[in-house]
Amino acid sequence: MTMDMSRYLGLFISEATEHLESLGRDLVQLEREGTATVVDSMFRHAHSVKGMASSMGFESIAILAHRVEDLVDAVRQDRARLDRDVVDLLLTAADTMLAQVRAVAENQQPDEASALLTQLGNRVTAMTGKGLATTRVAKVTALKPAGTEAGAAGTAQAGGGAASSSQVAGAPASTASTTGSAAEGVKSADAGASPGSARSPGVVGLAGATVDMGAQGLPLPPDLLAPPGTSSDTASTSGAPSGAAAAVAAAMGLVAPASTDLGDGLKAAASAPVPEAGPVRGASPPRAEPEVRGAMQRWAVRLRIAPTCQVPGVRAFLVHKRLTNLGTLVDLRPALEELKAGRIPDGYIQLELETTAGDTGIHASLRNVAEVEVVSVKPAVAAPAPAVAAPAASEAARASPDATARTVRVRTELLDYFLDTVGELMLATARLREVGKVLPENARPALEEGVYRLHTLVKDLHDKVMTARMTPLSLITDRLPRAARDIARRKEREVDLVITGAEIELDRAILDELADPLMHLLRNCIDHGLESPEERIAAKKGPRGRVLVAVKRARDRVIIEIEDDGRGMDPGKLKSAAVARGLLSVETAARMTDREAFLLSCLPGVSTAKDITDISGRGVGMDAVKRVVENVGGTLEIDSEKGRGTRFTLRLPLTVAVVHLLLVEVGEEVFGLPIAKVVGATEADGEALSRSRETALLPHGNSLLPVHSLDTLVGVPAPPRQGARPFVVMDADSGRVALAVDRLLGQEEVVLKPLSRPLDLLPGLSGVTILGSGRPVFILDVPRLLSA
Amino acid sequence: MAKRVLVVDDAIFMRNMIKDIFASGGFEVVGEAANGLEAVEKYKELKPDLTTMDIVMPFKSGIEATREIIKADSSAVVIMCSALGQESLVMEAIEAGASDFIVKPFRAEDVLAVVKKVLGET
Amino acid sequence: MRHVIFRVEKERYGLPLSAVREVVVPPARFTRVPRAPSAITGVMNLRGRVVTVVELRQLLNLPDSPTPPARVVLLDRGRRDLGLLVTDVDGIEAVERVSTAPGKLTPAIRGVARLGGLGVTVLDPEGLDAAVVALFTHSK
Repeated sequence: MTMDMSRYLGLFISEATEHLESLGRDLVQLEREGTATVVDSMFRHAHSVKGMASSMGFESIAILAHRVEDLVDAVRQDRARLDRDVVDLLLTAADTMLAQVRAVAENQQPDEASALLTQLGNRVTAMTGKGLATTRVAKVTALKPAGTEAGAAGTAQAGGGAASSSQVAGAPASTASTTGSAAEGVKSADAGASPGSARSPGVVGLAGATVDMGAQGLPLPPDLLAPPGTSSDTASTSGAPSGAAAAVAAAMGLVAPASTDLGDGLKAAASAPVPEAGPVRGASPPRAEPEVRGAMQRWAVRLRIAPTCQVPGVRAFLVHKRLTNLGTLVDLRPALEELKAGRIPDGYIQLELETTAGDTGIHASLRNVAEVEVVSVKPAVAAPAPAVAAPAASEAARASPDATARTVRVRTELLDYFLDTVGELMLATARLREVGKVLPENARPALEEGVYRLHTLVKDLHDKVMTARMTPLSLITDRLPRAARDIARRKEREVDLVITGAEIELDRAILDELADPLMHLLRNCIDHGLESPEERIAAKKGPRGRVLVAVKRARDRVIIEIEDDGRGMDPGKLKSAAVARGLLSVETAARMTDREAFLLSCLPGVSTAKDITDISGRGVGMDAVKRVVENVGGTLEIDSEKGRGTRFTLRLPLTVAVVHLLLVEVGEEVFGLPIAKVVGATEADGEALSRSRETALLPHGNSLLPVHSLDTLVGVPAPPRQGARPFVVMDADSGRVALAVDRLLGQEEVVLKPLSRPLDLLPGLSGVTILGSGRPVFILDVPRLLSA
Repeated sequence: MAKRVLVVDDAIFMRNMIKDIFASGGFEVVGEAANGLEAVEKYKELKPDLTTMDIVMPFKSGIEATREIIKADSSAVVIMCSALGQESLVMEAIEAGASDFIVKPFRAEDVLAVVKKVLGET
Repeated sequence: MRHVIFRVEKERYGLPLSAVREVVVPPARFTRVPRAPSAITGVMNLRGRVVTVVELRQLLNLPDSPTPPARVVLLDRGRRDLGLLVTDVDGIEAVERVSTAPGKLTPAIRGVARLGGLGVTVLDPEGLDAAVVALFTHSK
């Protein structure tokens, strides 16, 4: 397979140019103040250009960049070597490379610059006293066959190259702490620490205000009653974040420290490390200590490094590392230093290894290493094994402390704005790409390259914005201990609440939605799940009940489990309650599994409340919990065992797409217009407008905008209107337009749901959302509506 | 299910190329990072099945980033992206816990072969 | 095989039970879908999911009917949230021996069967899906 490198040409040109220009600026700065940081930065620029150029197959650029890298490296080792001539030479090299890049941009052969190469080489030799390591940049090229010179160079002595660059290792790493991390700027609004700033203003509609659309279940067998929304990659919201509640919650959290109610044993549990939600891995290479099984035995191992391997030394080193993790290497041929230098005759390596892992363990440890063939593993005629084989100490143990990341607090409105704008950028980029398709053939590549780069940048920006929106769950779980204490006291229960994993982060929009459901589930567990201390003792349990709130991360989901060790739920009672309320036939109920029956508690009004005096029995509110969880794209599961307890499991997506809309009414329908596209709104008498042919024209600023009737555009009947009506002025592809609507309903922040088949086949819709009222509303893509 | 990949390189050019290679091999690139600091953070956030790591990067080198990632998750699979002449750096990265390495200039089939091998897919 | 039996006016139709997720009462009003074919009644919010509802009468090109449809049969079509607006749902019956309908007009119809001495038209879930998509692609 040969990669088509031409598609990267545009990106190569722009990025290499950037690096070379930066290199030039660094050089000028270097002359003024030659700090280590500047030299490191120069090295990186040259290095990046080298990597890119060799990937593109532009050897002359890559070789020159490599020589520059060598010279900068020499300067880095001893800054006294820097003088005006060196700076001049490097500047010339930077300019030459820029010219080379321009040449390839114009589809011309870049200059070989051999005189300059010699000068650079001589300079390095003069500085370091070392002969120049063979310049090795490109063994393989994709655009054209590799030059014989480069090809031959590629196989030349690995030892020299490795030695000359070995000093490079420490330097870039050590700059990490001094340069700090500007890239870290916009991280985490940390709303918990400043509740006031976490408020999202101007939002209407709380979760509780959702109107049920009257979709009542009919008596049908369990397969029909199976909960919907199991494929929950779509997301919606029923309302807006209740920022004030979150602020109050945070304040409450401060009042009651989590530990006040915890018994000694549980304090320990609470402070114990959070259980890792280990993502399922297909196959991770065995690298930890070998399993202690089998007897210590000595094995003779024969291996071969593939002859095609470009860096056999490194390959051999990797093998060495893997095997030393298994046990003790007692014999190694060639010796390690020879191996590292790549001096391995025909690629064969022989060794003897003392290990408890057995031959299967040896095979397993090398199974995942590329370019290595295990020729044989045989028991060696061994000297008695030492008592204990000491596996190599983990290198990770001596990792440096984390560089402290600088954080800046950002108002959440601003985060919302960022996301909104990025969304619009994405749409705009997609539109540009569409426009490119109708351009004449010869004009396309330039635009496509630009669009490709734009797309990459916008996607990158989107990732950053989404990251910045992530907020730890502690923002809402911090208030649970206090609430647990209050509920328990009122119900004369005793409870230990243990919360783990609260540092795990979720998109702020989802987090805001979860505050009430979590509180409700906690109340449910304590109120209805836990028995009184007397009952517990009678049931041979400790008098104190326990509620565990465990947050885990599993791939792109966050899982929240709320679990009590109380009396559990009775599926039979739930079924008969549902039957009694006419929600279920006796026959259907009989066929239901227990798990399905537990979810009956989420149907409005179903309750096992015989023994419950509280007005808010189990059942009331559970429907709201389930709805909220599903509205943010999550799922709710309930597990319970009689006498043992109940567990609620919430599986939630990490992020949602939030957009700001202007809601407008046309006839009886409501539509959303992306606010980023809205320039303004005005009122005018539609009949009194001037016309150009059939099109009415609305005066706006100094211009006249073409008027489109939204009812006609979307094909929705609306009664004709007389007198003044509102117009929305929007940006469209070919300038601004005015949309005649019947009413402006205001702005709302909503969660965008993608359109599923067949709706995605319609032009002019960019998504759909569900308003706080429960009403689905389409989000219009006005330019496409106009053009379709 | 497609394996999830985090691509770390300070050059967009390289990231795009690597991303395209992975896409052609049926992998899902779930994130990108442009320096070592970001790489560690992204890793913790995304917990990818595989991370490709450039060595020479601003703020924090790929080796340091690898060390921190392995410290946070000893089962992390980090593949170093190296160039000829960086042998000793790659060895340092292996000491730090890198699972394997690939050598620039990349050829799609070489990269995919190494990656599939490391993930135990061949 | 067990089928959900429902009616459009007096005519009886069946869908395999496995193809039906649930049956719900239609909301007081649907959200109209801009520029959608007329057979698309609109979308409804079903516990946070946006379900596209199509009037079965129009999908099958049946004559106008005076009785307002009283039920939505939700298809279990993976991520496609599709509902069929029908006059009423009768229940669940075992339907055996489906014979191919003579002069089969649409892929939405799999065939006919007899149930309690009366005929029932058995629909094909994939065919229904295709018929709905065809509405959208042909109307352009």
